Amino acid sequence: MISDIGHGALAVGTVLAVYGSIASGVGARTGRPALIESAQYAALAVFTLVTGCLLLLSYAFLTFDFSVRYVAQQTNLSTPFYYRITAVWGALEGSILLWTWMVTLYTLLVVLRHRAQRDLYPWVLSVMLGIAAFFLLVMTIPAPPFERLTPVPLDGRGLNPLLEDTGMITHPVALYLGFTGFSVPFAFALAALITGRVGDAWITITRRWTIIAWYFLSLGLLIGGWWSYHVLGWGGYWAWDPVENAACMPWLTGTAFLHSAMIQERRRMLKLWNISLVILTFSLTIFGTFLTRSGIIASVHAFTQGSIGVFFLAFLAIVLLTAFGLLAWRWDRLRAEGELDSALSRESAFLLNNVFLVAAAFTVFFGTVFPLLSEAMRGVKVSVGAPFFNQVNVPLFLSLIFLMGVGPLIAWRRASVENLKRNFLGPVLVGVAAAAALHVVGVRSALALLSLGLTVFTTATIVLDFSRAARARMRAGSRFLPAIATLLLHHNRRYGGFAIHLGILIVAVGVTGSQAWSVQTEATLRHGEAVHLAGYQVRFDGLSAEEDSTHATVIGTFTVSNGHGTPTVMRPSKKFYPQESSPIAGVDYRMGLREDLYLVLGDFARDGSQATVKAHVNRLVSWIWIGGLVLTLGAILAIVPDPQRA
Amino acid sequence: MSHRWVVRILVVAVVAGGGLGAQSATADAAQDRPPAAGTVNADAVREVAAQLRCVVCQNLSVADSPSEMANQMRGIIRDRLAAGEPPEQVVQYFVDKYGEWILLAPRGRGFNMMVWAAPVVAVLAGLIAVGVLLRRWTRPRPAPRAGGIDPVLRERIRRELESEP
Repeated sequence: MISDIGHGALAVGTVLAVYGSIASGVGARTGRPALIESAQYAALAVFTLVTGCLLLLSYAFLTFDFSVRYVAQQTNLSTPFYYRITAVWGALEGSILLWTWMVTLYTLLVVLRHRAQRDLYPWVLSVMLGIAAFFLLVMTIPAPPFERLTPVPLDGRGLNPLLEDTGMITHPVALYLGFTGFSVPFAFALAALITGRVGDAWITITRRWTIIAWYFLSLGLLIGGWWSYHVLGWGGYWAWDPVENAACMPWLTGTAFLHSAMIQERRRMLKLWNISLVILTFSLTIFGTFLTRSGIIASVHAFTQGSIGVFFLAFLAIVLLTAFGLLAWRWDRLRAEGELDSALSRESAFLLNNVFLVAAAFTVFFGTVFPLLSEAMRGVKVSVGAPFFNQVNVPLFLSLIFLMGVGPLIAWRRASVENLKRNFLGPVLVGVAAAAALHVVGVRSALALLSLGLTVFTTATIVLDFSRAARARMRAGSRFLPAIATLLLHHNRRYGGFAIHLGILIVAVGVTGSQAWSVQTEATLRHGEAVHLAGYQVRFDGLSAEEDSTHATVIGTFTVSNGHGTPTVMRPSKKFYPQESSPIAGVDYRMGLREDLYLVLGDFARDGSQATVKAHVNRLVSWIWIGGLVLTLGAILAIVPDPQRA
Repeated sequence: MSHRWVVRILVVAVVAGGGLGAQSATADAAQDRPPAAGTVNADAVREVAAQLRCVVCQNLSVADSPSEMANQMRGIIRDRLAAGEPPEQVVQYFVDKYGEWILLAPRGRGFNMMVWAAPVVAVLAGLIAVGVLLRRWTRPRPAPRAGGIDPVLRERIRRELESEP
């Protein structure tokens, strides 16, 4: 029953999306508003149908309807309520459904917000519905979420235990909101090409959309890191897994676009470059899905298989051919000569920022596909993993941190020596002083010194700028807090951007600290024995076992003391799921601003007399999560309506 | 509040943060006892293990992986280092056994040079492109004709003034 309704709704949705896409385009071309209006209704109907499907699938999960194959694969009678909801997008079919739902949601929001806009809007609607149509098509042919299963099994297979985590409600949702969010600026860019209005209108309109998409993508990446850190049990938060890379690439090009768009807004240059960056960013989100879903690359995220890879590859080809075809067609209008007053200006700082961001994206891309290339051309399997990516990206990221300090303060057009001295002499001295001070207190790693020195430099430029502006207001008669508040609200774009930079800098401190100073050890302990690590004493006090609805757990009890304060008990565990061949680690951790103590249980004797424990002392990792919070505040500030222009 | 003041606080905060990490790190170093004869420093094992891929995991190094297989591989590394083999030779042992695939970063020779060269080429190409563009765009232009200000220019000046805090 549910199968039939779901299938039907998706089929109707596909037809309507195709119709709407064509109607809107034809309406725009022939100047018939009635057609565009009917496309709007189609968009509304598609959104309603996909929402209905999402609810229907959730209902199937909540009622254990194992006649739906996807439900039977992803859940069983013992899956608790909460995870039956997150299981909806726990695998391929459901995640495509969630993805489609978001595309249709963004489409509807674009209709609501921009329908008064007459020249670009109909084409935007056409493109967005076209994208939705593709994803609906995927759900009707290669990845049907409502496929029927006969005979109906008595119980399902059960959810992948790694996904039984609260992070699973937020991580995919945030990530997909980011991915799908980039379809809005992409649709506007295509509309600009189709209509030939390649001026800055589309850039101005999509500014907020881009920030929203960028923010959700950042959030998705950070939550993914958090999930990896506290669920996977290897002590890290970023493994340069192909799928992490796939999500990281559009983030890099999207970041480049956010910055180069500012040059176009202000100087009306880089039209061609901006449109290319948006096309690239959107294509990379599709490429990422292709990489994840086609199973061509082994990864923790790879769901598998089947003909879906061909669909995504074909779609990617259509997107690239159409977009760059249009670009070539409008070449004359885009090719406007740039004009700059000086190479020493904010414009060139932003250009360099773009070089490094796009080079990083390219590096990640090439590293990720290189194993395929090697196998195809030489027949030799190679791996490209963390040691490679860390090594090649560190110089790029450090350059970006430096530019992050320079860009916002250097003058537009032409920086005078005076301007440079006024804005950078102090921060440079502060940065150097900080590096020297760190050297004195015992930091020996050159990389850590460089990274923290640059971070301090850039932070100092932000503080300098903000305090200068605040003091100017205070001289004009404002008191301290009101001065800051008006400053933030009236220049929300600028200071939202600064807050986002600050968030990234805090993340950078966390990454530097955890890379440079984390320590770990592994020891097999008998009852009452202890292992020592970085001032902590970890004593093994025995094993216990528990059983709950989905799995059995073996828990190690460890008493931890660090010389002062009362000892605490930590209980890392191993979870045994009937459907999984190997056990899943249950990490226990104590987080702190300075360091986290992180315990993972290894092998153990069945009689509980001894156990192996891996202990990590991970330094400054919490700064990464704090940076994420600051970034969130900055993003909110950057998208609130500007009171001056409202 | 003077900005110098804020900057000072900031420096103290970051130095304190970095110092915290560094202090802990130096304290760790002090605690490390010299390895007894015939045993191997855990860091040496880790350094080799971090270069190798855990053969049963997805994309984790032998150093990071919690799997039993990785555990055994760490054991082999420890034994071989303890027997006096240099680290490169231990790595080579695994390459001979499993193929190049075991290395998490391909060696930079032959075909694999490409993957290492790519970032360098990308950055250089980007820098050259920006250099060429900057040269072209900053070329001096003929002075604007005398007379009223061009409306486009006026609009641009207005926008730039408006968005500067």
